[in-house]
This record gives sequence, structure tokens and C-alpha cells, in this order.
Amino acid sequence: MARKEYDNPKAEMTPMIDVVFQLMIFFIVTIKQEDIFSKLNANRPAPNSGSEQKEENDTSIKIDIGTEGVVFNGRGVSFKELDSHLKRLSASSTQSIVLIRCAANSPHGFLVRVLDTCNKYKMYNLSIFSMD
Amino acid sequence: MKKPKNEDVSLDMTPMIDVVFQLIIFFVVTLKMSDDKDTTIKLADGKNGIVLTQEELPPSQLTIDVSRSGRVSLCNITLTDKMLEQKIKERKARYGAEFPCMIRADKNTRHRDVARVMNICAACGVWKLSFVAIQEHKSKQ
Repeated sequence: MARKEYDNPKAEMTPMIDVVFQLMIFFIVTIKQEDIFSKLNANRPAPNSGSEQKEENDTSIKIDIGTEGVVFNGRGVSFKELDSHLKRLSASSTQSIVLIRCAANSPHGFLVRVLDTCNKYKMYNLSIFSMD
Repeated sequence: MKKPKNEDVSLDMTPMIDVVFQLIIFFVVTLKMSDDKDTTIKLADGKNGIVLTQEELPPSQLTIDVSRSGRVSLCNITLTDKMLEQKIKERKARYGAEFPCMIRADKNTRHRDVARVMNICAACGVWKLSFVAIQEHKSKQ
């Protein structure tokens, strides 16, 4: 009697293979690849500490971020121009302090873009301030 | 001659079952079902930043999500400013002020909302902040 169960085992393989394929298809469809993330470091001085005034000297680079675009050392520039300005400045020194001032209504994407450009030219002395 | 051949085939089931279990275990382990972050956030591009790997994310790290509308959350749990302050203070007490504090903000979030989070961090003595960006797009959207 027990022997009889082993008689046509070939027929039992088919559902097993079906299950394997179903499983494989299910997981291939549901699995989604994650983006690769990066991090951009910056300093945030304590509010109302007056460090903004203290740190502001001629050697520092000032970048203002508004709702429309960026202002580099008092002149409105495009992101492309900002890139070339920073490239030029980084050639002499990458140690200079970059002061980034953001308007309250400016999109966060602009700030990330500026930080990314600074990172591109190895300028890591970044401080972020906010304007009301 | 034909019968014994069929009898041998039944032994072939064992590796098959092994493979199925291996597959199931592999996918169960690799698949992350729960979303421990705000999935509505669309990050900005940051090709030149430091690539985030598992080693860059020690248990001491804190990732603060700021959605487009300004919702501040940790592990997809919305926090008030006071609760966030408490969380940061807890981290600082345990790991010191140097723990990796990361802000995941949508590219269209107003700076005002990000500044609010940064001010809370700075007020707690955490000045070194990181912003999360996308190094390379892999998921199709």
C-alpha cells in the first residue's frame, strides 16, 4: 500500500514547479530597487547667538537663496554661474567659510543644490542661516 | 525496467523542496515590508554628497522627515516641535552632540519648515546637520 504512493511521483512535480515559478514571479514583481542616497553636511549655528555677525568677514563667501534663485556675494546668478564662481574660488582655497542665507519661502531644493555644488568643489565649511 | 525508474524520481522532490524554502527564506529576509519613512517625500538630487551606506547609518543616527506641507515626522510618526525637541535631547544625552542628525526634506518644502527643525536641533546643541539627497536614481518614477 505504501509502495503505491510512490508509483507516479512525476505527476506531483508539476504543481511544485508551478509554485516555484509563481513565487519567483511574485517576488520579482514586488521587489523594488531603492535609490542611492547621499548626505550633505552643514552647520547650523544656534539661533540668536550672534555668530552670524562674528563670522561675517571679507574672506567668507555669501550665498543668499531666495524664492526665484540665488544671490552670490550680492549679485544674482544662475546655478550654472554659481558653479563656475565656486570652482574659481575653490581653486585658491577650499577652506573659506560659506555663509548660506535662506529666505523663509525658498524651496528646500535650492538649498540642497547649493550644498551639492559646494560639496562638488570640496568646500565643507558651510553654515546655514535663515531670513525671516 | 520502467517501474524502478519511476520509483527513483520520487527522491528528486527533496532538493526541490529545499530550493523552495531557500527562496522563501531569502525573500522574507531581504524584503522590507514596513515603511519606516515618509514615502511622499520627493528628495532633491545631490550627486556630490557622501554616499549613504549601512555603515553611515549607526543606531545613534536620527532621520527627521519634513514633508512638502511641513509635517515633521520620525519613522512616519508625526511629531510636534516639543516632542521633536525631547527626542533630540534624548539622543544627545545618550550619544553626545555628535550623533548623525539627518533631515529628509522634500525639494518643494518651504525653507521655513526646515528652518524650524534646524532651530530645534541647534537649540538643543546639535549644530552638525546633514541633508539627505538622491545620489543615483534606481527606482522608476
